[in-house]
Amino acid sequence: MILIPCPHCGPRNASEFAWKGEHRPRPDPARASPAEWRSYLYHRANPCGWTTEVWFHRAGCRRYVTVERHTLTNEVRRAVPAGGER
Amino acid sequence: MTATARREARRLPRQPGEVIDRDRRFEITWCGRPFPAYPGDTIVSALAASGVRAFSRSSRYHRPRGILTASFHDPGCTVQVGGEPNVRGAHRRAEPGMVVSPQGVWPSLGVDLKAVSQLVGPLMGAGSQYKTFMKPVALLPAYQQVRKRLANGGRLPADPRPACYDKRYAHPDVVVAGGGPAGMAAAVAAARAGAGVMLVEEEYELGGHLRWGGPDELAALAQLRVEVESEAGIEVLTNSVVTGRYEGNWLAIVQRPAPGGPIEAGGPQAVVERLVKARARSLVVAPGLIERPYVFEGNHRPGVMLSTAVRRLINLWAVKPGEEAVVLTANSSGDAAVADLQRAGVEVVRVVDARRGGGIVRALGPARSRRQRAREALGGGLEAVLLLGGAGGVGGVELPGGERLECDLLVTAVGWTAPTSLLDMAGDRPFYDERAARFLPGGRLAEGVLAAGGIAGDGPLDQMVEQARAIGRLAAGQRGEVPASPREGHPALFRSSTHGMVDYSGDVSSRDLVAAVREGYDSIELAKRYTTATMGPSQGKLEVANAVAVVAEATGRTMDETGTTVWRPPYAPISLGALAGPRHEPVRRSPMQAWHEAHGAEPVVEGQWVRPGHYGDPEAEVLGVRHAVGLMDVTPRGKLDLKGPDVPKLLDLVYANRWAGRAEGAVGYGVMCTEEGVVLDHGVTGRVGPAHYLMSTTPAGEATVWEWLESWLQTAHPEWKVHVTPLTAAFASIDVAGPRSRQLMERVVEGVDLSPEAFPHMEVRRGSVCGVPGCYMWRLGSTGELGYEVNVPASYGLFVWETLMDRGADLGVGAFGVEAQGVLLLEKGHLMVGQDTDGSTHPFAASLDWLVELDKHDFAGRPELVGPGRGGGHQRLVGLQPLDPALVPPEPCLIVEGEATISGRVTSSRRSPTLGRSICLGLVAPHLATPGTVVTVVLPDRTRVGARVMEHRAHFDPEGVRLRA
Amino acid sequence: MALASSAWTEPTGFTGTGGREKDGVGSTKAESRGARLGRVARAVGEATRPRRYSAGALVAHGVTGRPWRPAWRHHELGSTYDAVIVGAGVHGLATAYHLARDHGVRKVAVLDKGYLGGGSSGRTSGIVWSNYLTPEGVRFYDRSLRLYGELSGELNFNVMFSPRGHLTLAHSDASLRAMRWRAEVSKLHGVDSEVVGPEEVRRLVPLADVSSRARYPIMGALYHPSGGTVRHDAVNWGYARAADALGVEIHQGTEVLAISTAGDRVTGVTTNRGEVSTPVVVSCTAGWASLVSDMVGLSMPIITRPLQAAVTEPVQVLLDAVVVSGTLDVQVSQTDRGELVLGASPDPFASYSMRGSLEFTEEVAGRVLQLMPSVAPMRLLRQWSGLCDITPDLSPIMGPTPVEGFLVDVGWGTNGFMAGPAAGQAMAELVATSRTPELMAAFDLARFAEGRLVEERDAAGVGH
Repeated sequence: MILIPCPHCGPRNASEFAWKGEHRPRPDPARASPAEWRSYLYHRANPCGWTTEVWFHRAGCRRYVTVERHTLTNEVRRAVPAGGER
Repeated sequence: MTATARREARRLPRQPGEVIDRDRRFEITWCGRPFPAYPGDTIVSALAASGVRAFSRSSRYHRPRGILTASFHDPGCTVQVGGEPNVRGAHRRAEPGMVVSPQGVWPSLGVDLKAVSQLVGPLMGAGSQYKTFMKPVALLPAYQQVRKRLANGGRLPADPRPACYDKRYAHPDVVVAGGGPAGMAAAVAAARAGAGVMLVEEEYELGGHLRWGGPDELAALAQLRVEVESEAGIEVLTNSVVTGRYEGNWLAIVQRPAPGGPIEAGGPQAVVERLVKARARSLVVAPGLIERPYVFEGNHRPGVMLSTAVRRLINLWAVKPGEEAVVLTANSSGDAAVADLQRAGVEVVRVVDARRGGGIVRALGPARSRRQRAREALGGGLEAVLLLGGAGGVGGVELPGGERLECDLLVTAVGWTAPTSLLDMAGDRPFYDERAARFLPGGRLAEGVLAAGGIAGDGPLDQMVEQARAIGRLAAGQRGEVPASPREGHPALFRSSTHGMVDYSGDVSSRDLVAAVREGYDSIELAKRYTTATMGPSQGKLEVANAVAVVAEATGRTMDETGTTVWRPPYAPISLGALAGPRHEPVRRSPMQAWHEAHGAEPVVEGQWVRPGHYGDPEAEVLGVRHAVGLMDVTPRGKLDLKGPDVPKLLDLVYANRWAGRAEGAVGYGVMCTEEGVVLDHGVTGRVGPAHYLMSTTPAGEATVWEWLESWLQTAHPEWKVHVTPLTAAFASIDVAGPRSRQLMERVVEGVDLSPEAFPHMEVRRGSVCGVPGCYMWRLGSTGELGYEVNVPASYGLFVWETLMDRGADLGVGAFGVEAQGVLLLEKGHLMVGQDTDGSTHPFAASLDWLVELDKHDFAGRPELVGPGRGGGHQRLVGLQPLDPALVPPEPCLIVEGEATISGRVTSSRRSPTLGRSICLGLVAPHLATPGTVVTVVLPDRTRVGARVMEHRAHFDPEGVRLRA
Repeated sequence: MALASSAWTEPTGFTGTGGREKDGVGSTKAESRGARLGRVARAVGEATRPRRYSAGALVAHGVTGRPWRPAWRHHELGSTYDAVIVGAGVHGLATAYHLARDHGVRKVAVLDKGYLGGGSSGRTSGIVWSNYLTPEGVRFYDRSLRLYGELSGELNFNVMFSPRGHLTLAHSDASLRAMRWRAEVSKLHGVDSEVVGPEEVRRLVPLADVSSRARYPIMGALYHPSGGTVRHDAVNWGYARAADALGVEIHQGTEVLAISTAGDRVTGVTTNRGEVSTPVVVSCTAGWASLVSDMVGLSMPIITRPLQAAVTEPVQVLLDAVVVSGTLDVQVSQTDRGELVLGASPDPFASYSMRGSLEFTEEVAGRVLQLMPSVAPMRLLRQWSGLCDITPDLSPIMGPTPVEGFLVDVGWGTNGFMAGPAAGQAMAELVATSRTPELMAAFDLARFAEGRLVEERDAAGVGH
């Protein structure tokens, strides 16, 4: 069971979280071309290695957390609040 | 021989280390006959003490099988106990009254008609099923049926008693997997170093191989047991196994009960099996070694046993394993077995020492004269099978050079397998050590995983114990050196000059493996899959090393090059019941649900909610709302409380329409889209205070919308000042709907002016209802009638409901449920998200164009809705009426053009009592969406009917006059 | 292009086991008489050993004890091929087979970094069905299911195809509606699929709890009589053997490390065993599609998620049909040996780990027991997992890409095995003729940039 070091709650089982996907910067919808926008919607890096992604601590503090995880070993090395502290 | 004399013909006098209690004899039943047993006996040891030699028939060739290992994974000792299939008879303790029977034989163990497969055996090697029965195709089902009848599994009871399974979370610092000398020593050392320890042992008592050892071993065992018992910080689980090690030392332990009782005495119900889950800081893997069988012709015969089996039978259960034995030994376990056999009065006909070049060629069946003698004495049949292994039992052995010896017991001690499964699960890859002739842990362990005892190396007992203590201290977090384990040499003995069984459970021989390699399945993984070797109930523990050796030999590679198969969890079998645990399925009910059911409501499951479907006559409920006033429990509607100065910005972002500048008390309907421009949810949001809004969502959308709002607030706009609080469960909600609803409300509401000028349509107010303060009232008119949705603090929900029913009696008030609501909404053409929309519906398709304000600055979904997304080829949601007013098409029906081109579908369909005809909503291709078009609907019985596209989606009062009253 | 007959024919010039003449050089240097005699003797021995599998051949081999001809050979890696297929799973092998058989393109290498059929094709539960939701999906999978029905005869390898019936349970009005929707689409395309009530479910699945006491009572099911199971390893081996006999080279233990391009077209691949030049590279690499596409600088709308499965000890056969529940997120079937095979939807996060989790076995056990409470005493013996490509619309990605010569057959999610035969046939046609067959046209990569998704998300099978 993957252990996620929630910045608010400490290390918690991944089953308490909902995975929200790769962290992708959202382009400015006013300026992005349809191709760029659709790339944001659909394309993914999907690396076999370290990735930055977002989890939501559904059964805990209910905060979005940005996590660095290795997709082959499932090792987690960092978890910070997504979008900065509030 | 008489029946009584036959009883316990093979039971020895008292042995120093025996675990049976001779004072409490009882009986168990086997094949319909009673046999004596003692507490401490396993099922198989009790039967073996009475001379039983065969316990099952093999899966493919249905040959009789006897004791091989006398341990949990003895492949020939799987039996049915009462209604429980696949019981490991050489491990499960006998209990009074047990009814034991063989599995998969028909009609009996003695006369198994499936043994006919032996006739074609030589022609049907492993993998033969792929080479035949391909044609004729029509016979394939019959062939499948035959294969099924030949299958060997046990029986599940047709009418199961409910058994109790359980789960538990444990929080030990150190888990020690294996309660032999190394495990015990490590546990004690860890506990003394201050760790909380869980010691898990597969057998019913601690001790490992010490239990069947000589006086020195028994003394060491007693000492270690005292040490364990005196440490308060050690929790001991016996008859339990650490069966899985997952990321971060997340451990699964299967805990099984002590014989005759529940896992805990005094519990309310006997727990049959429990899954214990623990996140341990350290895992010490000390499972010892598993003895490996030798591959030779006839090695499957009853009477062929491993040295540890013989030692266990004699020393633990005082069972004489045979009368005349030949022993093939290559190590000290074999030597000790010789001594034990002699002590037990078994005639050791020959000791073949492999260290001095000795070997065996094949095991032979019973000599004719012996068989004849036995048959005369026993009358043949079942007895012969049971007591001799029938024609299948061992009768002799052939040595190199042709010499033949008569014996009824052939013991082998050719080496060991390290059960590295848990270590592999921790990322280790074992390597083959030529000197030790076995696979050893590779040493690349994850943090927090340690190996101790025989699995890591060899050496004398006290050295191993010292090493284990050092590991225990390390596991507890103390620094220190761990002495290296010596690796002793061992002859590499895997297969004699003949071919024999490698996988006993699957009847896979070395010949099968060699043939597979020759046919191109020449890696261990392909050979394993082709022959199914290592894929049986013993999960590879007995088979894998021999399989690797045979494949290596056949491919000309070394054992290390060949590698082993990947060990997968679970290491020990665990029941589905224990994995599932006691089942808790949350159910959500409103405070009024009991009232509904008491008044005849049919419950309807909607996600987690249970709601009233209807109260007996949904059409009457519909008419009641249209003509008088109805009450509906709409508590499951999601409610989110939004507070803060920036709420309008959030609403502008998530809704496709504009929100800024709405006055207090104003309510707006909005649709929410995903970033792909697909409808996510819809609902009304009202401003109830200067910086206070209430958002409603569909019942199914509640959780999704809350997370959606939070994702924008937390990740995109943390600078916005908004607080979101879900209030769905805080309020009970009642829809008061119908032309007389205002009259009813006037009777119960205080603090709010209900006149149509003061409280128009699409507004929200706060006041007191039935004397309960803090209630919200919304004028929404979703049913198409004048109506109020009332949100009451939940604990008063039932009171307010009953009061309304009471105060409205003379107005003709009645309850209406989900079914009637569906009809009312459909009459008004309101779309239901998830029914009239699906995963690809854009708001334009839902004909919500008027809502989508594309000149608005950024909102979720906007880029997909401007430009290419706009209108385009999306299907449109339209009102439909079948040409035949009495025909109600089922939901959904496809709308087609031509033979098979799908141009849409009917998404909602009901009979409208208000209009006296059928009404529908449907999605149609844009070119069919013009009012007046007649589309073709295909009914489930393939007939095609026409339906007309209506001018409005609402079939009743399309101008909405009634709801604005 | 000669059309082969349905029984695959021996490739011309085949002279025996092992060894392949060096490409373009003709026969090797002159050999000694002894060596030639030995070679001829071996060839005669090979030629007289029966090639075809049959009951008669089984008896003959059993009686004489002679070994069977190897199902496939080992080769040195050549320097150039007409097409290189990455991935020796069902898609790659079926594509190679059809290229050789239907189009006469035989200078084909199928490369796999592991053993053949060791990827997702070796880890699937082997359930096959065709009553999908979208018309594009139904047409495709129907073709595939029909091919499965004939595959044993076609490949001369018993793939243990068992059309035992496939049930998708509905536990709510909403899912019943979804089932009816699927049934209607299926029927319109000639696929047998109909909605049945709880009584019929009980008859087909005596183990099922159809009482109203269940937490999610069974309200009905979508019944697909032609659906069932197939032995996945046998399908892989059958295609491999047939392709090999037609001259296709299967290279196990051969990992593609890079794909070389010149401008916007493919020129070859670099592997751990050497370099190969080829104008066509076909990616059939479930789970690894993104990494292979990265090699040509192509980003994909794919995330990799593990799909787990588990198997129990055997008991007597109690379950004939395959049972799937979308609401409960579980699928269960029973093998001929009596083991229950359990599956669910892929893990809820992206990962390349195939270790398997405890959460999966706990959840799937809980769900199976909701369906069939009486199987609680059955014990789990083994769990495993394979990797899936998950696309935004749960439809595959097939066809050409902006890099000329780089073709993809990926994005199959949990339906890859089901689609293998039809995909192989279609991809082979694309490779050989450079024209995209109608059957796969809707599954092009360009649909994402153009907003033309093919939505299978509402199929309410085992959820995604």
